[in-house]
Amino acid sequence: MVEEYNVLISSVGGQGGVTLSRILSNAALLQGLNVRVGETLGMAQRGGSVQSHIRVGDNVHGSLIRRGGADVLLALEPGEAARVSAYLGPGARVIMNTESSTPIPVMLGQATYPKVEEIRASLEAIGCRVHSFNAQRQAQDAGAPRSVNVVVLGAFMALGDDVFTPEDVESALRSTLSGRYLEENLRAFEAGRRALHGLT
Amino acid sequence: MIHLLDEEGSHHLLMGNEAVARGAIEAGVHVAVGYPGTPSTEVIETLAQAAEQTGMRVEWAVNEKVAFDIATGAAYGGARCICTMKSAGVNVASDSIVSVAYSDLIAGLVIYVADDPGLHSGMEEQDSRIFAAASLLPMLDVSDSQDSKDAVVQAFEYSERQRVPVIVRSTARVAHGKSPVVLGPVKKVEVKPHLGRDISVYTRASPVWCQKQHSNLIEKTEGLLPDFERRHSRLDMKPEHRIGVIASGVSWNYLLDAVANNSLDLATLKVGSANPLPLNHIRRLVSQVDRVLVLEELEPYIEVQVKAVIADLQRRVIVHGKQDGTLPRVGEYDYDLVEQAVNKLLGKAPELDPQLAQLRRDAANLAPRRSLPFCPGCPHRGTYTALNQALKELGYGEGEAIVTGDIGCTILGMHPPFNSCWMEVSMGASVGLAIGLKYAGVEAPVIATIGDSTFFHAGMPPSLNAAWNKTRIVVAVLDNEITGMTGHQPFPSTGLNALMCPVDPVRAERILEASGFKDVAVVSPFDLEESKEAFKEAIQSEGPSAVVLRGKCAIVARRQRLTGPPSRVDPEMCVGCLICVRTLSCPAMSVVDGKIVVDEPTCTGCGLCSQVCPAKAISPGGDA
Repeated sequence: MVEEYNVLISSVGGQGGVTLSRILSNAALLQGLNVRVGETLGMAQRGGSVQSHIRVGDNVHGSLIRRGGADVLLALEPGEAARVSAYLGPGARVIMNTESSTPIPVMLGQATYPKVEEIRASLEAIGCRVHSFNAQRQAQDAGAPRSVNVVVLGAFMALGDDVFTPEDVESALRSTLSGRYLEENLRAFEAGRRALHGLT
Repeated sequence: MIHLLDEEGSHHLLMGNEAVARGAIEAGVHVAVGYPGTPSTEVIETLAQAAEQTGMRVEWAVNEKVAFDIATGAAYGGARCICTMKSAGVNVASDSIVSVAYSDLIAGLVIYVADDPGLHSGMEEQDSRIFAAASLLPMLDVSDSQDSKDAVVQAFEYSERQRVPVIVRSTARVAHGKSPVVLGPVKKVEVKPHLGRDISVYTRASPVWCQKQHSNLIEKTEGLLPDFERRHSRLDMKPEHRIGVIASGVSWNYLLDAVANNSLDLATLKVGSANPLPLNHIRRLVSQVDRVLVLEELEPYIEVQVKAVIADLQRRVIVHGKQDGTLPRVGEYDYDLVEQAVNKLLGKAPELDPQLAQLRRDAANLAPRRSLPFCPGCPHRGTYTALNQALKELGYGEGEAIVTGDIGCTILGMHPPFNSCWMEVSMGASVGLAIGLKYAGVEAPVIATIGDSTFFHAGMPPSLNAAWNKTRIVVAVLDNEITGMTGHQPFPSTGLNALMCPVDPVRAERILEASGFKDVAVVSPFDLEESKEAFKEAIQSEGPSAVVLRGKCAIVARRQRLTGPPSRVDPEMCVGCLICVRTLSCPAMSVVDGKIVVDEPTCTGCGLCSQVCPAKAISPGGDA
């Protein structure tokens, strides 16, 4: 029995944060758990910030995680990890892709983008356990360059989790995706799981 | 979608909008019609996928008023109908809604409207509950997916019993949130077309009839109070309770979380209808408690009614809500806001850890600001680049010619580096605004940029106005052959209907020409030279002129695998001037060691960057 378990997914539109949320919520359903999902879909395809709140457990009613209430943060982009720090507290686990998506003003030198190490340190200062790696490179090496989301999911599973099991998550992956996407994503999932050893 | 036709009793995790669609199926709806508008769009999309199996007629209409008129015709004719829209859509349809409220329906008609507290998709934070009060129509207010499905099924019962349209109102957080739903039975409804002429019911022509209809409407809506109180609201109060909370919509769930997390023991009232409000429950609650908190997003709609009931009772009850500043009228609520308000109600000091709060703020401050760029391969990027080039060549610097923007993706031309659009009002308003600016004496060019779906929705009448009165404006229709911003729904120029079956496309240039526009240019926004020349000619033209810039939406092109090979940069030739990035702001480009790098999986090969590169360092993909 799970009372309350909260997973937050933070990404940039187009990275597949919403798909990742579907996979995880389907995995929770496979385990027969009560699930509520809060999603911001408005800008999901357009390079804006996208967050999914996945809340699992018998004691869960609202679809938004409370401040400091996230048990796990899956951050598909480092700046987006920093953006949702209000939901993090001591002991929260953060799995973070280190490859940044650079806003245009930063490219033009009109704004700055923080160093990934700085973001990591700021999350550790809150008390989070941060596991970061270049998921983008892993995705490319696996021949699935658009599957950063599933690489991060694989790494999350490799770390072990009290609620989600790799078997259920893989079943959910298979039932949520289809065709050529599934094959690519299964490679990405495996790449993420193997990347555990490279995690810093 | 896969679960939409599953059997009664099965459990599913459904989005609020999917649950509304299932509710329509369970209610035996025959006609579903709407106009895309975040956060309501997925209802029609979901029903369209099931249309073949259900036999339901599912359509996108060209705008919400047309949708509602179709829905009314269906309901007058004896077929159950659901009509969907976002809050702004209610304004468009309101002319008809207020009128139809006065008549008698034959079959049920449910209007589904989704508001957007917190503005997840832009535009106004309109509280459509106030529209129920204005139209006098019954309105249910839902709090999760199960609630949404059940409300739709029951709204059809009410609509048929009282013979009035019933509004089901949701919010973005509910409409796009997912929660468990137990499916109910699917009702089989035989439709017998109804033909009954009765002008005392179906017209508003006589003041005598009309006032009779008005008083009937009041009776019909008030007649739903017992059902609304029994089935949609819930008062949980013990004799010893002296403190109570009233909550509606998504706030109800946050309240349940707060009660569970803090083991609270207080009276609670869930309010599931906005018109009529459960006034008997409210009266019982405020007759007993001394302090009450009202949780509702946007306007203090319930709160003022609660205060009116208290005044009637001549009791002294302290009311916390928006009017005493406990909660905001702006933005959406979340768990923490609700918990804070409950703490204030209970006189409990919040548990604060200022040091941790500061650390969270420090981390959040590192997050970079993100503007919303056009997608890689978006045709609008070419349009605004060509427009800026045309204005520059005609001697107009930045800020010297007015571009009135419109609703949809096309408004993103207001952002750097284009800085084109000056204003955004409502669907189709760009053209009327342009006309008015000319009448105000603006001598500089005034160009209305409007998307194709927006043009068909409400841009045609003002264009006709401009042609009729020979106003010297430029109408630029940015035709990406889809309704883009809401997630790619087909409309008249797509060449597909809501079920994705091929139909003959309607072309904006044909409508403009028929309205009286001469020599409407049709160009590709991916060809900057051609588009620039067309703009120059249109701006210099004497009468109203128009340019149609036709290029497929990049997301649709990618789905249909119509994108080209990625552009290639010759690092030897790239001089690092960054003119491409400065001009186009394309997310597929990045700067590495001062030179341009194209991200291959992201690039669609649209070719705009090769056209703006002064060093000829970028070549369109595909060349050997």
